[in-house]
Amino acid sequence: MWSYFANPERFDRLAAAMLPWTWGLTVLLFAIGLPWALVFSPADYQQSETVRIMYVHVPAAWLAMAAYAGLGVSSFVYFIWRHNLADLAARALAPAGAVFAFLCLVTGALWGRPMWGAWWVWDARLTSMLVLFLLYLGYMALRGAIEDEKLRARAGSILAMAGLINLPIIKFSVDWWNTLHQPASVIRFDGPTIHASKLWPLSIMALAFTVLLTALVLTTMRTMIVERRLERLERQRESRLEAEAAL
Amino acid sequence: MSAMALFAREVRLAWAGGGGPAGPAAFNLAALALAPLAIGPDAETLAAAGPGIITFAALLATLQPAERIFGEDVADGTLELYALSGVGLAIASLMKALAFTLAVFWPLPALAFLGGLAYGLEPVSALVLSAGLLLAAPGLALVAAFAGALAAGLKRAGLLIALIAAPLQVPLLVFAAGAGRAAMDGTPTVLPNLMMAAAFTLAALVLAPLGAAAALRARLE
Amino acid sequence: MRVRRRFGVWTQRQNRPNSAAMSLPFPTASDRATVRASSVTLSRGGRTLVRDLNFEAGPGDALVITGPNGAGKTTLLRAIAGFIHPDGGDIHIEPAVTGRIAFLGHADGLKPGEAVRDALSFWSLLQGVDSAVVEPVMRRMAVAHLENRACGTLSAGQRRRTAIARLALSNASIWILDEPTAPLDAKSRARLADLIADFRASGGLVIATTHAALDWPDQTQLDLTEAATAARVSA
Repeated sequence: MWSYFANPERFDRLAAAMLPWTWGLTVLLFAIGLPWALVFSPADYQQSETVRIMYVHVPAAWLAMAAYAGLGVSSFVYFIWRHNLADLAARALAPAGAVFAFLCLVTGALWGRPMWGAWWVWDARLTSMLVLFLLYLGYMALRGAIEDEKLRARAGSILAMAGLINLPIIKFSVDWWNTLHQPASVIRFDGPTIHASKLWPLSIMALAFTVLLTALVLTTMRTMIVERRLERLERQRESRLEAEAAL
Repeated sequence: MSAMALFAREVRLAWAGGGGPAGPAAFNLAALALAPLAIGPDAETLAAAGPGIITFAALLATLQPAERIFGEDVADGTLELYALSGVGLAIASLMKALAFTLAVFWPLPALAFLGGLAYGLEPVSALVLSAGLLLAAPGLALVAAFAGALAAGLKRAGLLIALIAAPLQVPLLVFAAGAGRAAMDGTPTVLPNLMMAAAFTLAALVLAPLGAAAALRARLE
Repeated sequence: MRVRRRFGVWTQRQNRPNSAAMSLPFPTASDRATVRASSVTLSRGGRTLVRDLNFEAGPGDALVITGPNGAGKTTLLRAIAGFIHPDGGDIHIEPAVTGRIAFLGHADGLKPGEAVRDALSFWSLLQGVDSAVVEPVMRRMAVAHLENRACGTLSAGQRRRTAIARLALSNASIWILDEPTAPLDAKSRARLADLIADFRASGGLVIATTHAALDWPDQTQLDLTEAATAARVSA
């Protein structure tokens, strides 16, 4: 399957066909999810209106983690099979994931103010997200510092895999470091404890964010494929002119 | 045999080259000396912050010379020779990181003990903190070496290494400082903290050389 | 183009009495190596440098790669050393034993703070070579009088001679040399040629790039100029 989609031309056609639908679905889901979550869903009896921050904060956290998982997996695929598309996916996922992590941190701070009375609390999950954000920054800084395209991709893939291995360990040690934290309250083995009136808008928002991430990644990848093609054409022109100059 | 020869040479080079242990030790000491000036002289606050500041200062000290671990080998052509030597880059990376720990980072646990006393910890707590750092130091060095291998030969490699390595060093920071804090507070988690620090050093012992070798092979290409 | 192996040559040379060569850790009959490249294509930064290259070089051969700047000499050399994977074709070394290639790149691979003797002793130890050989090798490359000098204080030529001495202590059956003579004066060049002659006589294989004429006997030239490449591809 990999080799089937590894062909950039085929991928480009597929992505071109998918993109209008993906963007359309993104708009639709946000058009439903945003009003529902931010206006029509019930206020919390403890947190009152501020609970609405959750509808952005929680999906952003999920997507930041999912994007890193995607980054790790596509890096692994690139490292083993050297498919350029996997590298393009990694390259596209990193800034998107970093933005989601940042969004999660900012909304976390906004939520923290009314809930804890402070803009920032060293809560275990927020702290883990901060470390994840740093991992994204490190990944992008490393790629940005390397000139050679192949080396950039290889070094980036190695770092992303190391980060993926480390992420559960970081999570575990941060939890250990701060044992006074809220247990995760949406995904649990005994079923969600969050009330259905909030779970619906939250699910739609999470889906909207996921489709948005897909749309962003596909769009970025297409742009990069075009960039690469342009560069190759320029290279060809360059060497033709060089050959003519040598005659 | 070959691996031991490589280890011995790297200890010799790390000891003599670039000021050896003096640089990181001085850096560590400066951080320890400056923190109280920023925090204030209140003994209770300093003791409470002590294990954290001391471990953090040691972590920064391991990042300070990390650029040298592989940067020089890339620049002077030694990397090619190690790659072809038959020892293998993973074993060479492991030997280099361990040699670096021994030759350059040996003062860090000692400084942690002295720093612990200076920050008002009980001698036993300071000793536990020092032990935590002794167990964490090879792990910290290995992660720094991995980051150093990724950034070897790049411009502003030092800054990049700090950015790459710091998040990966979080577990070691948590457990080394955690051991000191537990000893200070009298909670019974001293041993688990020390064992976790040792466990992550062992994990780094296996994983970091593989990652460093992969990064160096990419660099050679 | 096909570089022919000349088994006859090395068997003749082997009989030549040479006491200096006997003491050096040069290949014995069991670890002579052959390099075979078949339809190798190499590129760098998106530009194809070497296209569809075939050659074979065996014990006793000296393969000299020439060509203008940017023709891919160093890239080809690094591909033979195994650092670079070819975009197409493959480079095969027989027997495939690690630690049998000695490499001398643009950088000399010396540590500025390490004394010449310490460096050479280390490399001989690493490659399992008898440390007694270090002394004669240093004399041959005229670095014996510099043995206690830190490598960082040597001149470019002295550093190169030390690096060449390291080759002779590498216990390798293939020497891969990138511009080995660049910083060398005429006398040092003759020393290198002499060392290489002995290495080849005992079945060693030398692959080198060069700008200058090397004048090693029986060397085979591999020209990477555009015209030569075109001729090869059309042939």
